Amino acid sequence: MSSLFLVVDATSSGNFAKLTRHRVPGAIPFGGKYRLIDFTLSNCKNSGINNVAIFPYGNYRSLSDHIGSGDRWDLSRRHDGIFILPPKNLSLTIESEISFQRMYEHSEYFYRSNQEYALVTPANMVWNVDYKDFLKIHLDNNSDITEVLSDMRKVLKTYIISKKLLLEYIENYDQIAFRNLSDVFDYAPGLKKHTIVIDTFSYNINSAKELYEANMQLLLPEVRQQLFLEERPIFSKETMSAPSRYGDFANVKNSIIASGAVIEGEVINSIIGRKVKIHYGAKVANSIIMNQSIIESDAVVEYSVFDKETKVLANSVVTGDEYEIFVSEKKQIVTSHQRLAILQLSAECYPFIKTGGLADVVGALAEEFSELGKKSQVMLPLYPQIKEKYNLLLELKVSNSVIYGNKKYRVNLYSVVNSNTVYYFVESYDFFDREKIYGYEDDGDRFAFFSVAALSFLDALEEKPDIIHIHDWHLGLLPLILKTRGLKIKTLMTIHNLEYQGVYDLSILEKVGINNPWQYTRLNKANFMEIGLNHATKISTVSETYKDELKYEYYSRNLVETINKRYRDFYGILNGIKKDIGPEDDLEIAMKYNLVNVFSAKKINKVDLQNKMGILEGNEFFVLGMVTRIVEQKGFEIIIPALHQILENSLIEFVILGTGDKLYLEQLRQLKERFPDRVSINLEYDATKPQYIYAGADAFLMPSRYEPCGIGQMVALKYGTIPIVRQTGGLNDTIENFDVSSKRGNGFKFFNYDTRDLVFQLNNAFNLFSNSKFDWQQIIINAMNSRFSLSDSARKYLELYQII
Amino acid sequence: MKKIISMILVGGRGTRLGDITKTTAKPAVSFGAKYRLIDFTLSNISNSNIDVCGIVTQYEPFELMNYIGSGASWDLDYIDGGIRFLTPYSQAEDVLWQKGTAHAIKQYFRFIKDYQPEYILILSGDHIYKMDYNLMLKHHVAAKAEVTIAATTVNFKEASRFGILEINEKNQLTTFYEKPDNPVSNLASMGIYLFSYKALERVFFDDNDNQLIDFGRNIIPYCLNHNYDVSVYKFNDYWRDVGTVESLYRANMEMVEDPDFLGLNSSKNLPIFSKSLNLQPHAVLEGGSVTSSVIADGSLICGKVRHSTISYQVTVGKGSVVEDSVIFPNVTIGKNSVLKKVVIDKGVIIPDNYYIDAKKVVLITQNNLFEVGEVHE
Repeated sequence: MSSLFLVVDATSSGNFAKLTRHRVPGAIPFGGKYRLIDFTLSNCKNSGINNVAIFPYGNYRSLSDHIGSGDRWDLSRRHDGIFILPPKNLSLTIESEISFQRMYEHSEYFYRSNQEYALVTPANMVWNVDYKDFLKIHLDNNSDITEVLSDMRKVLKTYIISKKLLLEYIENYDQIAFRNLSDVFDYAPGLKKHTIVIDTFSYNINSAKELYEANMQLLLPEVRQQLFLEERPIFSKETMSAPSRYGDFANVKNSIIASGAVIEGEVINSIIGRKVKIHYGAKVANSIIMNQSIIESDAVVEYSVFDKETKVLANSVVTGDEYEIFVSEKKQIVTSHQRLAILQLSAECYPFIKTGGLADVVGALAEEFSELGKKSQVMLPLYPQIKEKYNLLLELKVSNSVIYGNKKYRVNLYSVVNSNTVYYFVESYDFFDREKIYGYEDDGDRFAFFSVAALSFLDALEEKPDIIHIHDWHLGLLPLILKTRGLKIKTLMTIHNLEYQGVYDLSILEKVGINNPWQYTRLNKANFMEIGLNHATKISTVSETYKDELKYEYYSRNLVETINKRYRDFYGILNGIKKDIGPEDDLEIAMKYNLVNVFSAKKINKVDLQNKMGILEGNEFFVLGMVTRIVEQKGFEIIIPALHQILENSLIEFVILGTGDKLYLEQLRQLKERFPDRVSINLEYDATKPQYIYAGADAFLMPSRYEPCGIGQMVALKYGTIPIVRQTGGLNDTIENFDVSSKRGNGFKFFNYDTRDLVFQLNNAFNLFSNSKFDWQQIIINAMNSRFSLSDSARKYLELYQII
Repeated sequence: MKKIISMILVGGRGTRLGDITKTTAKPAVSFGAKYRLIDFTLSNISNSNIDVCGIVTQYEPFELMNYIGSGASWDLDYIDGGIRFLTPYSQAEDVLWQKGTAHAIKQYFRFIKDYQPEYILILSGDHIYKMDYNLMLKHHVAAKAEVTIAATTVNFKEASRFGILEINEKNQLTTFYEKPDNPVSNLASMGIYLFSYKALERVFFDDNDNQLIDFGRNIIPYCLNHNYDVSVYKFNDYWRDVGTVESLYRANMEMVEDPDFLGLNSSKNLPIFSKSLNLQPHAVLEGGSVTSSVIADGSLICGKVRHSTISYQVTVGKGSVVEDSVIFPNVTIGKNSVLKKVVIDKGVIIPDNYYIDAKKVVLITQNNLFEVGEVHE
């Protein structure tokens, strides 16, 4: 009997975009006929292990359907066998690795297992190894914990540990500083640690990109030889399909084709799943096509990953590129020639009017849609600021009168055309001709009116929209108004910040012409955000992780039920930053730089920053920078105590630019008093010129309590300033923890919202900065190579429009 | 108690298939790249929701038993029923080696009796077709028959290979000719018989001369002579009894040429199940090309394949050409070989530069390899 049992970690959600909407990562199809979990379970069978526990998270129906009784892997046993252990505490958010807390929920399983050693490994691994070899090395080295690294020295989150020691961590999960085995391996003192680097193909697949890369590697004979061994076969669920059939004009080169496929067209460098049909004249290159997809005649598909049952209509062209693979959703119907007319409705839009990040996103999306060949239209209220600045360009299109409440109002529609994008402005003396754009008692009336006025102009637009994309609460009533008027235009509502919901008097609903307003509300108030979320065709928010988090009341509060009810129509699309942001052409900083001269330029910019801020100058200092609104959300509850601790280290400096809550401003002043030479507090938030901090600081602090997307960390990355963030929302999706052994990762992140964990990562970063110069340089290179662009976001929104 | 049970007869040696059946029972012979002949009958049983299947084996049963296993691949692994292998045994008094198909069924009548079925369906394990046996049962009940024979029309040229039937306007059997030299009709028995339980019991146990050895040769004529109600159920879809290398080859080519062959590649149809062997998908590598062909898992194509069926784990080497051929499992074809109009038996290793362009279909085995083709230096 083997003395190993297996803990399969299927808890992480990875970054698979649409591929994980219907399944957990372990159940993602791979290599034409497999699912990722097949490799782990087959390794189990081939290593003679027959006690396996799978810890899944989220939607694991597909995984358990695939595993069945486990008999395909000889795991349907009288003793031991395979166990699927679902989470008990559903309010725990998703982590990147299985936590001891999660194991504690099923500690019974660990006590019952007869085997002395545990192997903990993710469900989304592709490799063919003998786990017993790992155990032998673990025992030979007399180690307490053994880590397994891939042939590329990448962390595989795979560990061997004795059941006894593992149970100690599990039982004390709430007492110790380590959340998972990676923490233990990296930081626990007094343990004998050993690292195994395996020499065959091994891949821990955590994103759609990695899924694509690993699939493509299968086309190399040496990879196939390492993965599919005669003595250690990879088993998969038995399925029934006919042999593959090739038509008279089939043209297939360097591809893997699973059974049941019908190939009549051209296939090059691709992986074709079971029962896929590629019709005559269609061309598929460099793509992964999963089961039962159909590529119709004369369609062209390149650099794509198609989930199961995707259908590409005849003559369509679907092309991603090497950096941005096109990913379809299960059962999606894809077509490129659809002429799509989009109307974005928002309270602000760059370059016309801007108070925050929302304007940047709306403006950039509008331009990108035009570039991608779609009819892109935006409509805004005509604020006096816009009228002043664009007076000469504004062209009066049409005038209308709009009924709001019992009164008739006169409204005018102006437009400006800028490189194919049409911007419309709704002029109303009563509602928009004011000094500020927000902050009036009747904001509810103003934006409710905007919705009604916007709809009155639908016929005056250059092209009637196929989809209306509304942003934040301001346009929240629009989907409901559309419905009550029987207009069948699809809507997408994007949540940028759930904090502001627009709660106003119920009578507003009557004013926009909705009878029986009470059936659309709770608490006798009209909540614009809630009404929008309830009635939009689809809803989205600005990062995958924030989307996941909004399932929990901690993040979505009063709207938790609404969000959970709409969850199947809820998508996460990460924002990006504009192309022109970066240190290369930045005139505001002491020395412009790029990857070539970053190390020398950073020093000069740092001294310049220290000089401007009046703190001690010197390259040996580790400068922490912050550019932020100073509010609770940004993490000041833990930042201030953490700074008091960390600044006791006389080589650390802290610089902050921003404004906000009096309470925190006062606490920051006290911090400055305590460390006058090394702390600089700049409380005039001059958001237009924060670059000298981005360019001069070594690390960028952003430990937000929650963060829907976050822009600061992306800007910091561009400037090679290393983000230290909490693992939440968009921060989680943009920052990968730096890993010393594989030299991958672009920042530092921690999970728990508490001071201890923040201090822990601050010390980590400081130690790396002071003691491992080359590692620090590597992390800067990784950071500057990170890519988050709004044109990627725009493409994802377009894909989403097309499945609405 | 079951309404209907099925019995598959895996009797004859299939000698006309030559060396293919040297170590393989005929139903285990491979067909259409990934199938074995018995897959069709087992899938029909499964798709007709019949949950008891007795398999009467006699000749080289090992490979077949190994292949079928518990029957789970065809969803026929039931606790109360499922697949049972019925192999010949000797009784205390005398050695009762099975003498023929009917004799085997009689020997296992206790198996049938245990289920107390109303109907017994007798099948062959080596035909290629897709049939809903419930339609035949419906016909049987409507005709108030005691025995129903499934029949299909065949080519007159081939009619003498089959049992030929003559029927009246009520589809009742009037005359039966077992493999006649000069067939008077082309309505052939498919070797599928449906008996009401009472009728089968009477046939076996009222007759004491023990001469009822074979269904075609003895039982059907016996029933006719003794005034049983014998009805004929006409089946009009694709059906092939591949008794020879030539007919096996032709059926393979029919599959290649018909994109809708038995509806195999359309998910709307009832599936033909097959035991999956845990192989990786096949790969067409640089230099390989495939047209008008059918290919099973685990194969590696580096050469040119046209108008052929390629079974699992076949390797076609660089520069080789395979045309109008049927390749059985585990065949390795070296580099720069040319193979046209051949059937290659399982496991054969074709050397580099091998050449054969057959005018008439040729079966290649490891033994006759160098008699039928040659190596060009």
